[in-house]
Amino acid sequence: MLVKILNQELTNQITQLFESQLVEPVELLYFFNNDDCDTCEETGQMLEEIEMLSGKLHITKYDVNENPTIAQKFGIQRTPGLVIAGGGPGEVIDYGIRFTGIPSGYEFGSLIHTIIMVSKRDSGLDPDIRKLLEDIKKPVHLQVFVTPT
Amino acid sequence: MVLAHQLAMESPLIETEAIEAIEFYDLAMRYNVSGVPQTTINDGAGVVLGAVPAEYLLQEVERSI
Repeated sequence: MLVKILNQELTNQITQLFESQLVEPVELLYFFNNDDCDTCEETGQMLEEIEMLSGKLHITKYDVNENPTIAQKFGIQRTPGLVIAGGGPGEVIDYGIRFTGIPSGYEFGSLIHTIIMVSKRDSGLDPDIRKLLEDIKKPVHLQVFVTPT
Repeated sequence: MVLAHQLAMESPLIETEAIEAIEFYDLAMRYNVSGVPQTTINDGAGVVLGAVPAEYLLQEVERSI
């Protein structure tokens, strides 16, 4: 039997959180590589376990070697790569939200909160910050370096 | 980390990527990451160290673009 990554207590917590917080469907586009990726297998299994906790979540998995065009379309250059989008299969709404590398430890919490935010279709930002964002007129790419601890 | 993703959710012009710095050590080296979180703006045009308030992050973004 396959050993689960998420323990029962965490599974229960996330299930309850999802039941009370998820609103609209969330599509997880997961990009992996079977040849050269130490954490792809674990990341893929973790995402599958998360997907099973709510009917509002759906994962589509892409092997980057077999789907280079789709990987390029979503700007995926490394694996494991994850796009947290709205919509569902066939009608992805891309908000420009990515995780590169395994979202474990502290980043696991970020992943769960990001899924909830996308499901609500609401950034939750204060009105004054939303106003400041209106002044941004050029494309911005933020790369936030994080670690599991 | 969630702040950056909040900004991406709100603004169609902002894209954000959370990068695992140990797994992608080469990228962390390229951008001289000395601690986490560290935010690189537009391929090194700007950098923000640590977890900062949204106002400060946006100030640095405005300065860098």
